[in-house]
Amino acid sequence: MADSNQNSGGVPDPNFEDPLSQYDPPEYSDPLEQSLVEEKVGVLQTQPYESVPPDATIREAVEKLIRIHHACLLVEEDGKLVGMFTDRDFLNRVALEYEELADQPVSSVMVKDPVYVYETEDAAATLSVMAVSGFRHVPVLNLEDKLVGIVTPRRVTQFLHEHASPE
Amino acid sequence: MGLIEQLGADKVRSMNLREPVVVPRDATVRDAILAMREGDLGCAIVVDDAHKPVGMFTEGQLREELPFSPDMVNRPVARYMADRFPWVNEDDAVEVVLDAMRVNNTRFVCVVDADGKLVGLTGQKGLMEYIAETFPRQVMVQRVGGTPYPEDREGA
Repeated sequence: MADSNQNSGGVPDPNFEDPLSQYDPPEYSDPLEQSLVEEKVGVLQTQPYESVPPDATIREAVEKLIRIHHACLLVEEDGKLVGMFTDRDFLNRVALEYEELADQPVSSVMVKDPVYVYETEDAAATLSVMAVSGFRHVPVLNLEDKLVGIVTPRRVTQFLHEHASPE
Repeated sequence: MGLIEQLGADKVRSMNLREPVVVPRDATVRDAILAMREGDLGCAIVVDDAHKPVGMFTEGQLREELPFSPDMVNRPVARYMADRFPWVNEDDAVEVVLDAMRVNNTRFVCVVDADGKLVGLTGQKGLMEYIAETFPRQVMVQRVGGTPYPEDREGA
């Protein structure tokens, strides 16, 4: 098949106008900005993640948080995100009633509508979602809505440090 | 000015600092929990009579201790607080906050004035807000069980 900007004799068409000739590529002031805008959320490190099923008890969830030294557990059922249980939920809903609530399912105190991002979104959008929503832990889903990871404060801090202090 | 340069040039005082949750040394853990709930913050700062920070008690410390010692809620928070905690001066560069969080592996950083008095709190959320201002855009906030809705970020 002949190239569309050439005539049948293979000579470039003098009337051809490159549709990208007016395109101004984005300019970035530094590599950190460029990385945040051009790279996907995976650049922030989204794995591994830790989860529990919704019928796990609060005691089991808390003991897991202590064991793995994390501040957040995703609540997952059949690969789908159904909630999130964090240190803030422990503080606000459990701490003063721990003995009474410890054997209840974690689903009774978890955040049922956590904010998430898709793995196709860029890193800057993810940080903006964190800033707007106030959630510090943001689960990551693939396009089949399956849970594939999480962005955590520690991972963001590490990313920013590595890019802001490249030496 | 690029983001890296901006992190080194902007002062901590230019960030959107949060009002810290403050408790006295003789407050109980229960007092601190109730104050943190009221202030919607994950840490309480213990201050002395001169309003200088002397300790930090976080929701993470609470989760680590309480399952093994439910009675801790009736004991003084000073017994459980960390007396080594990250702090920055309000005239430090924003990048100092990033360093303080990374080195101390914490989300919260106290902000003090030239006299060492507590004037604010920042950390992960403050840093995210600061950086997000660099990327003004319509943000799609998606929630499980909810309809995605856009929110506008305002800023430079």
